[in-house]
Amino acid sequence: MQTQQTVPVIEQHDGPAIPRKSDKGLVSAWWLSLVVSVGTLLYLVLVEKGAYLRLVKFIPDGVLVTFQVTIYSIVLALFLGLLTGLGRVSRNRWINLIASTYVEIVRGIPLLVQLFYIYYALGRFVRVPDILAAVIAMAVCYGAYLGEIFRAGILAIDKGQTEAARSLGFNRAQTMRYVILPQAMRIILPPVGNEFIMLLKDTSLVSILAVADLLRRGREFASETFLYFETYTVVALVYLIITLLLSKLVSRLEERLSYYVKR
Amino acid sequence: MRRIVVLAALLIALASQSAWAKTIVFASDATWPPMEFVGPDKEMTGFAIDYMKAAGKEAGFTPEFKAVAWDGIFAGLAANKYDAICSSVSITDERKNAMDFSIPYFKVRQALVVPVASNAKTLADMKGKTLGAQISTTGHFAVKKAEGVKDKSYDEVGLAIEDLFNGRIDGVVCDDPVAAQYALQNDKYKGKLKIAAIIETGEDEFYGIAVKKGDKETLALIDKGIKAVKDKGIEKELIKKWIGQ
Repeated sequence: MQTQQTVPVIEQHDGPAIPRKSDKGLVSAWWLSLVVSVGTLLYLVLVEKGAYLRLVKFIPDGVLVTFQVTIYSIVLALFLGLLTGLGRVSRNRWINLIASTYVEIVRGIPLLVQLFYIYYALGRFVRVPDILAAVIAMAVCYGAYLGEIFRAGILAIDKGQTEAARSLGFNRAQTMRYVILPQAMRIILPPVGNEFIMLLKDTSLVSILAVADLLRRGREFASETFLYFETYTVVALVYLIITLLLSKLVSRLEERLSYYVKR
Repeated sequence: MRRIVVLAALLIALASQSAWAKTIVFASDATWPPMEFVGPDKEMTGFAIDYMKAAGKEAGFTPEFKAVAWDGIFAGLAANKYDAICSSVSITDERKNAMDFSIPYFKVRQALVVPVASNAKTLADMKGKTLGAQISTTGHFAVKKAEGVKDKSYDEVGLAIEDLFNGRIDGVVCDDPVAAQYALQNDKYKGKLKIAAIIETGEDEFYGIAVKKGDKETLALIDKGIKAVKDKGIEKELIKKWIGQ
């Protein structure tokens, strides 16, 4: 039985293609985009064949590298972001200072410059393998952004929650872990999901490090065969499809995390 | 009255200028020393740039150089962004299908650059190793064709050389004048890198100026210029100045 809703449901307006649960059938933005992009790709490969077929055989290892970089970066960035977010709300002024300085510095340097820096400039001192360099640069950059989102999420939880937890005998760490963070997670998931999708797209920048990702494979194919239109159509479609899958994953997570408020 | 005369003279001068001096815009990826690169005064310079300037003087066109990234330089030509490409483009059959080429202006071979400590003598010695090259250059094609070698493509040959210097890859394949520039003349890499081998591909490889397919007018002008530069011995001077042989 439906009970009266007491807590406001967090609407998932964030991101253009994240559907709500009430969206049924084909007419959600997400389904529409997926069907159109997969359909176009299949049409090109199965009907037009020729260059498209060769392309689809040429780029799979690039897709794999894009996936690898994205997933490793997301995991590492989440970890860094959580630490930074906690550091930014910490009462210890040293921890706070370190976390804030990290955010200020990293946020002020373009990702592309960071990539060049970690790979080529620091390459003189430490020989970081290319994919690792890419992952470190992406994670360090997005860790700072995520840190700010974590901080906002933690600060958004009503002070009464902390007071209640403390008066029940939780210490500060327990309050954070069992009371504040679980609630904050629900709030920050939409913006964090957005960051994930941006991170995935920004992995295309790592092709500058001679990492053989999707974009670089496409560029190699295009500048060898001069088939620019065909190549970038396929590359764009593949990015779109991967992003759509990721956005679906995020919206599923949102549904699960807000389960108890929706009942 | 005087003003009108001056204006008329200026107009005539301009008109005659455009009548005999057609401007040809050349795209160039100026990251390929000593053929074409950006000098300390931020102007494009190098063997090919000087060559085209001389050709322009001989054939009566004004060359104008536009900096364009290598990756996409051919797409720009097809899209009429410029008239020609002067960027150490090797004449290959695949490229001939997509564009027209001038008569060759430089013979080039592919060289393998390795660290001084390496004892590789041929490309075959690099089995199981990683070789770098600039994306979609003939050097990159040679690496891809070599058996058992992992290829890594860079946006610029300089980045590949830097990666070799830092020890991430085992060798770089590029055009021999460029290899010589980095391995023998560059202050930073001199004594650290060396040319291990000249790769025999079986066919002679030449640089040509690429123009849009069917652009006969531009091609005729450029061909005339290159021919004059060769015949008058200007080419020899340029080779002496930039390549030093």
